Amino acid sequence: MRKDKATFSRRSVLLAGGTSLAVCAVGTATAKVGEKYPGDLAILNVALGLEHQAIAAYDAGAKSTLLTPAQLKIAVSFQKDHKRHRDALIGFIRHFGGTPVEPKSSYDFGTIASAGDVVKLAQRLEEGAELAYLTNAGNLENRDILNAAVPILEDEVRHNTVFRQLLSMDVVERLQY
Amino acid sequence: MFSEFTSARRAWLRSAGAGAAVYLLTGNAKQLRAQTTQGDIGILSAALWLEHEAIAAYQAGAESKLLSPAVLKAAVAFQSDHKYHRDGISGVLKSLGVEPIEAEKRYDFGRLRNERDILALARDRENGAVLAYGTLASNIKTKAVLNFGANVLVDEVRHRTILDTVLGWPTY
Repeated sequence: MRKDKATFSRRSVLLAGGTSLAVCAVGTATAKVGEKYPGDLAILNVALGLEHQAIAAYDAGAKSTLLTPAQLKIAVSFQKDHKRHRDALIGFIRHFGGTPVEPKSSYDFGTIASAGDVVKLAQRLEEGAELAYLTNAGNLENRDILNAAVPILEDEVRHNTVFRQLLSMDVVERLQY
Repeated sequence: MFSEFTSARRAWLRSAGAGAAVYLLTGNAKQLRAQTTQGDIGILSAALWLEHEAIAAYQAGAESKLLSPAVLKAAVAFQSDHKYHRDGISGVLKSLGVEPIEAEKRYDFGRLRNERDILALARDRENGAVLAYGTLASNIKTKAVLNFGANVLVDEVRHRTILDTVLGWPTY
């Protein structure tokens, strides 16, 4: 019985939030195609640059043949996430009249001589991406873009946390960037 | 560019971090009140309910004496994060003239027979928080509140990922 009540309360608060969600959805639906969000476009292109870089880093890691099968599985999965992010960002940039940045012709990831080097590189890039999305979330004006950025931020935090655990770095305390 | 983000983050932590919403509570309350919509207040209250629940869940876990030292350490740290979130949200609500909701008198978390039960309970609550913050974040109108919410979301995702790892559940 108590459990039912708890479930109900939980549902109530989420419903209360959901009402705002519905109102907001109606609001954002009125945003016109071609409407300019120069600040958002600049942020999206910076984010896209980071996604290109991450995809290239995972390629470098995979091609190095240094990773164990378990590590390679993680790398492939995370790279897939970044490709999804890249495609979403490109879609938004084009939708709002911007020009998506292209990947660089080459990236300098330093010396990759061991699986540890690959994991450290990936962790560093994921933490940078986490920080970039976190710092800029509040600067995004368009709510559709923000809606898309939030799950990307969640992915970056998950990736970073997984790598920090693999590297035996602290994950219990909140990151002090 | 990276250093630009770093300094922005540090600036934010300096301004809003220490007391969770010091920035909001000092001098800017009037401006905040003007900007904050009723919707934000509803979202903050919903979030506060979840934070109270998470704090209680970790308390139940800690008091059960079923946790190994390493898991207990994590539970205490995660509870501390949730208290930080609670205090931040409560502070914002008070600055807006809204009385924050109190924790329930008691919560029924079912039978906690072993460490795994507690980890699963914590994971469930963290997952609920991720879904709630993830869904509601973009509906927050006030930039300072949104920034705080994003930082809270980062904590919740980190907690959930760690708990998934400990439980042997997929993280990728």
